[in-house]
Amino acid sequence: MRRLTRLVAGIDAVNNAIGRGVAWLTLAMVLADALVVGLRYGFGIGWTGLQESVTYMHAAVFLLATAYALNRDDHVRVDIFQRQWSPRRRALVDLLGSLCLLLPVAVVLAALSVGYVTDAWQRLETSAQPGGLPFVYLLKTLILVVAAQLAAAALARAGHCWLTLRGASTEAEPWH
Amino acid sequence: MALIAGLMFLVVCLVLLTGYPVAFTLAGIALLFGLGGAAAGAFPAGELLALPSRVFGIMTNETLIAVPLFVFMGVMLERSEIARELLEAMATLFGRRRGGLGITVVLVGALLAASTGIVGATVVTMGLLALPTMLRRGYDPGLSAGTICAAGTLGQVIPPSIMLVLLGDVIASAYQQAQASMGVFSMQTVSVGDLFVGALIPGLLTVAAYLLYLLFAAWRWPTAMPAVPDDERGETTGLVLISRLLPPLALIVAVLGSIMIGAATPTEAAAIGALGAMLLAAARGRLGRRELTAVTDQTARLTSMVFMILIGASLFSLVFSAYGGDRAVHDLLGNLPGGALGAMLVVMAAMFLLGFILDFIEITFVVVPIVAPALLAMGLDPIWLGVMMAINLQTSFLTPPFGFALFYLRGVAPASLETGAIYRGVVPFILIQLGMLGLLAAWPGLVTWLPGLVYR
Repeated sequence: MRRLTRLVAGIDAVNNAIGRGVAWLTLAMVLADALVVGLRYGFGIGWTGLQESVTYMHAAVFLLATAYALNRDDHVRVDIFQRQWSPRRRALVDLLGSLCLLLPVAVVLAALSVGYVTDAWQRLETSAQPGGLPFVYLLKTLILVVAAQLAAAALARAGHCWLTLRGASTEAEPWH
Repeated sequence: MALIAGLMFLVVCLVLLTGYPVAFTLAGIALLFGLGGAAAGAFPAGELLALPSRVFGIMTNETLIAVPLFVFMGVMLERSEIARELLEAMATLFGRRRGGLGITVVLVGALLAASTGIVGATVVTMGLLALPTMLRRGYDPGLSAGTICAAGTLGQVIPPSIMLVLLGDVIASAYQQAQASMGVFSMQTVSVGDLFVGALIPGLLTVAAYLLYLLFAAWRWPTAMPAVPDDERGETTGLVLISRLLPPLALIVAVLGSIMIGAATPTEAAAIGALGAMLLAAARGRLGRRELTAVTDQTARLTSMVFMILIGASLFSLVFSAYGGDRAVHDLLGNLPGGALGAMLVVMAAMFLLGFILDFIEITFVVVPIVAPALLAMGLDPIWLGVMMAINLQTSFLTPPFGFALFYLRGVAPASLETGAIYRGVVPFILIQLGMLGLLAAWPGLVTWLPGLVYR
C-alpha cells in the first residue's frame, strides 16, 4: 500500500512538473505571435519559422499539459448526478473510467502512432512551407509523449481511487 | 450498421452522466465500439489508422491557435482585476439611476465575457462580484440572478468569443463538405472572421433587448431595482472613471476592429489582444511573476481541456461515420417534412436539449460536424447557421432546470437566494432569446448583411 502511494505520487509529480513547465509557453506564444504580426504589418517581413514555432508551442501546451489538467480535475464533467454522490462513489466512477476508457485510449493511441512517428523520423520530415521549421518529426513525436503521459496518469488516477476506496488515502477526495 | 452508430451515441450519453470527463468518455467509448466492431468483423479496423493524422491535424490547425490566445487575454483581464474595476466604475456611473446596477452588469458582461467566452468563468465572476452588491442594494433576488446569468452567457454570442472561433472552424469545414457533396467546383469559404462579423448585429440587438427589458422593469417595478443613494456611492472622479473604462474598452474595440477591417486574422488579433491585456495589467502594476504564473497555468489547463475534447470528439466522429452514422443523419434530415425549415427546427431542438448536459465545446465538436453538412447542403447560409446555433446554445445554458449558467450561479450564490427565484428571474431573458431566434429566422439579413458589406 505504501509503495502504491509513493508510485502514484511520483507519476503525479512528473506529469504536474511537465504541465507547469509547458504552461509558460503560452506567454512565449503571445509574444512570438505579436512579434510576427508587428513584423508583417510594420515592416512587411514574413517570418514563417517564427509563426510555425507558435504552432509548435501551441501543440506542446495542450498535449503536454493534459495529464496535469487531469490531476487538477480540469477536464469537463457532466456532474448533474455526480455532485450529489459520495466521494467513494465518485472514486469508483473514476477508477472504472481510468482503467476502461482512458487507459485503452492512451495505449491504442500509442500503438497507432508508432508507425506514423517512425515514418516521420526516417524521413526527418520538414515543414511543407518554404522557410518553415525542419522539425515536423519532433512535433509528431509529441503524440507518443502524450500517450505515455496519459497511460501513466490513468494508472496513477486508478491508484488514487483504489486507495480512496480502501480508505487508505489520507485525502478525503481522490483529487487534490 | 447505422444502428450501431446510434447505439454508440446513446452509450456515450449514458456514460457521460456518470460524470467521467467528457473528452475521455468520447474517445474511450468510440474506441471500444471500434475495436469491438473490428473483432466482430463489423468495423473496418483500418479506419482507426487515421487517428494519428487526425490528432496531428488538430495540432497544426492555425485557426484554433486563437483559442489559447483569447483565453490568455480573458484570464489576464480577470486576474489583474481589470474586470472588477470596470464593473465598479460602471456601477458608479449608472448606479444613481433606478435599474442602473442591472444595466451595468449587462454592459460589463457583454464587454468582458466577449474575451473569455467560457460560460462558467463569466457567470462565476459576475456572480461573485455583482450579486452581493445587487442584493445589498435591495434588488429583487430573482431579477438580480436572471440578469447575471443572462449577462454571463451573453459573451458567447458577442465576438470575439471562443464559441464563435470553434463554431467558425467547424462550420468552415462542414461548408466545404456540403459543397463537395453538391458537386460545386468553385467553392466558397467561410471563416471565423465572417462569423465574428455576422454575429455582431445579433449580439448588439440582444444587448439592446436586455437593456430595454431592464429599463422597463425598473419603470414597472420601481422597488425591485432601487437607485443607489448618493452618499453610498464611491467618491470616484470623472478622470478615474475614464481611466478605468477606456483601456479595456479600447482593447476590445481594437481586437474586433482589426478583424473587421480585414487587417488581422482572429488569431493575430487574439495575440495582439493578449499582449494588450498584459500591458494594461503592467500599467496597474499587476504583471509580476505571481500573476504571470497564475495566468499561464490557467490558460494551459483550459486550453488542454478544450483540445482534449476536440481530440475525443474527432475519434468519436471517425468511428461514428465509419459505421455510417453520418450518412444516416444526412438522409434523416433530408427526408423530414418541411425541407430545410423542418430539418433546421429538429437540429435546433436537439442542440437545445443537448445543451442541458453538454457544454458548447462538446456540442460544437461532436454534433455540429454531423448535422451542419446536411443543413448547408440544403442551401442554408453558413454564417446564419453558425449565429443561430450560437444563440440557441446560449439560450439552452440559461434554461431551467438544467441550464449550465444556473448551476454556476447557484454555486456562488448565498443560500438565502432561492433556486426558484433564479428560475423566475431568467424567464424574461429566455423569452428575449427566443424572440431573437425568431427575428433572425424571419430576417436572415440581420446576420448576413454586415459580412456581405465588409468582405464582398
